[in-house]
Amino acid sequence: MNPPRIVITGLGAVTGFGFEWQGLWSDMLRGRHCIRPWQPEGVSEGSFPVRYAAPVDWQRLPAYLRSHPALAGELERRTRFGWLAASQALADSRLGYAHWRDVAVLAASGAPQHSLDDMQLAFADGETAPSWKSVMRHAASVRGDASLRQSSDRLARVIADELGSAGPVMNASSACAGAAQAIGNAFHMLRRGECELALAGGADSVLNLDTLGALYLLGAASTETRRGEALCRPFDAGRSGLVAGEGGGFLMLETLEHALARGAKPYAEILGYGSSLDGYRLTAPEPEGRGASEAMAAALDDAGIAPERVDLVNAHGTSTPLNDRAETLAIKRVFARDQHYRQLSVAANKSQFGHLIAAAGAPELLVSALCCREDWVTPTLNLDEPDPDCDLDYTAHKARHRRVDIALSNSFGFGGLNTALVLGKYRSDAS
Amino acid sequence: MAAAPRPVYLLQSALLNAAGDSAEALHGPAPAAQALEFAPERLGFPLAAPRLPAGRFDRKLARSVEAQGLRLLHCAARLGDALDALGLAPERIALTAAIPEVDAPSPGWEAVAAMREQPGHWLAQWFAHTPPLHSLTLLNSSVMAHIAEALACRGPMAGYCGQDSAGLDALAAAMHAVAEHRADAALVVSASPNLTPALFLREAELEDGGVDFRPGEGAAAWLLSAEAPAGRRVRIAGFGRGYVPASAEVESAARDCLARVMNQALGPERLSLGDLAAVYSEPEDVLLGWALGRTPVHGGARPRVGALGASSLLTDLAYALASPEFSTLERTAYLLFLNRSYTGQVAALVLALEPGRTA
Repeated sequence: MNPPRIVITGLGAVTGFGFEWQGLWSDMLRGRHCIRPWQPEGVSEGSFPVRYAAPVDWQRLPAYLRSHPALAGELERRTRFGWLAASQALADSRLGYAHWRDVAVLAASGAPQHSLDDMQLAFADGETAPSWKSVMRHAASVRGDASLRQSSDRLARVIADELGSAGPVMNASSACAGAAQAIGNAFHMLRRGECELALAGGADSVLNLDTLGALYLLGAASTETRRGEALCRPFDAGRSGLVAGEGGGFLMLETLEHALARGAKPYAEILGYGSSLDGYRLTAPEPEGRGASEAMAAALDDAGIAPERVDLVNAHGTSTPLNDRAETLAIKRVFARDQHYRQLSVAANKSQFGHLIAAAGAPELLVSALCCREDWVTPTLNLDEPDPDCDLDYTAHKARHRRVDIALSNSFGFGGLNTALVLGKYRSDAS
Repeated sequence: MAAAPRPVYLLQSALLNAAGDSAEALHGPAPAAQALEFAPERLGFPLAAPRLPAGRFDRKLARSVEAQGLRLLHCAARLGDALDALGLAPERIALTAAIPEVDAPSPGWEAVAAMREQPGHWLAQWFAHTPPLHSLTLLNSSVMAHIAEALACRGPMAGYCGQDSAGLDALAAAMHAVAEHRADAALVVSASPNLTPALFLREAELEDGGVDFRPGEGAAAWLLSAEAPAGRRVRIAGFGRGYVPASAEVESAARDCLARVMNQALGPERLSLGDLAAVYSEPEDVLLGWALGRTPVHGGARPRVGALGASSLLTDLAYALASPEFSTLERTAYLLFLNRSYTGQVAALVLALEPGRTA
């Protein structure tokens, strides 16, 4: 018996472009970006070494979302973004209330945000060494919206509680591959029959002193200033590191049979998922891109799709010197037969809305689904002078109208945790 | 066409908890719960950060891995020889993990102290006193990357961060990778969270002390394979997972959820409660008791080593399989592991213990 076909029937995205996927899509096709000057709260202007980011602008919150429960109570920013995106995907799917309890929830929410104020409580009674006992004594002063009171699986649970979901409810954790893993896991669960509906994706925000400071110290975030807002330049010779964004993305997935029975219109079909480990080095990707190519090959194998049928690779494309070169080599290896890599369109969404870290895979898969539906490829911005080692067609500067039957979306996590998802244009006559 | 799913066997475990570093230790004298340093009115089972076994990992890793990660690496290292003995290509070895979030500050305590001393220059103090690689302690993926590199795992991966249920999520992902021929073996690793105030502050019912919650520190890892061992075989026979939303009418929702999860776990082999040789669960949980009827329930390792969070399931498997009553088998014995976490997750796992084949 053939496994059930799995389709995407609802989209939700919160990014620097706003709180609705329609605005994200139209802005991306117009070649816009949402990267701008940024400094963390509480820091005097210009003293923090990372100067640009793609923050979510609360001024863009539509009126109908102002009473959303995600904005009330004490939650981390990442949880608010993710909950809003999940609600948008749910609404977009037009799933009737009677089905809500049947929805599995799979989320990724990244690393916790530690509050420096909370940590100061460890010395609050004049201790010379840090003391958790002191933190406990001052528990009433511990912030409600940071890691000591917020667990990483909070996002999945608030979404599940809103739905009244009977589960499963899971929290994926694989760094920047997290949301893609959550979606891939949901796809496999649906295909095996473990559930009929799943809301899958992720949310993250590293735009705070603590987490972005950590990324800066690690040397991952770009501190360059001469490029201005054109700082994120995947595959360009002048790229200098990642530019962080924040937000979230969720997709409603369901079996085609279930979708058609309730009259839903699929955006695209998920065909395969694959993952791999570099097993190389903690702080750098395997330089030949072997781990990345294993994940892509595994996803294509899972989908039963020959590499020659792929039209678009939505690249991880971080704008870091090491990733972009290794990813190019990985793409060339997977699509080597007949040099199919010459026929591919490649896009790097991070040039438009920054790197959403653990959430990255979700809005990027959403964009890939729309590329399949609309036959458009979004641009890679700021690719003025391609790195000689990055010699694919990255759709520089401008969106391109071309047929996209099959797309592959890459997400690679820190430490060499690799994922790839294969999407297909939804066809009612496909078997 | 995809190949038919194949059976998956548990080959070997490695544990670390207050009772010791073996499954047999869990059947020995129970360690005494201790007053927690940060909350003396509360009891738990803390554990010192271990020294990594020589050979698999560079011991300098201890500088950039949190205590919970070190416990996990300690377990993973001890499965290295068994993994090597399978003689598999690295691309055929999966790695899945259930790792809690890290509660320590990302800049490190030295930086926090320095910032207090010079509040006018706190940002500079922070940057000056935080080692560049210290931020890696933030990431669960760092721990997975260390294992992948040291034990040559380059196959499918999945990481989970949650409460008790993350252990089942990691085990299920590993099982599927092997059963569906995407890998030939899988390493499943899990850790409990470090004992910090966050354990109590994150959930109101735990903060107010209304629940007798005795956390423990520990880690557990298992090696899974498609290859059946020569002697007693332990096969994963089914699992189920569900959720009781906080917004629901709790008792009726919990009963519906439990019934569905039990059906998922027992269904693949058409089992009923009467077919089970043993059930490992929480004897005091009234709702679980409703699902289990009059079936006798073992308490698992929790009373001895505390609530181990994401590593509780993998620890309980080792505890049960080390029980003398299952050392010799005349026929297949089925074990059920059933858990309901305080965060609403319900998880069930069924193992089939099969006698070894005679020549």
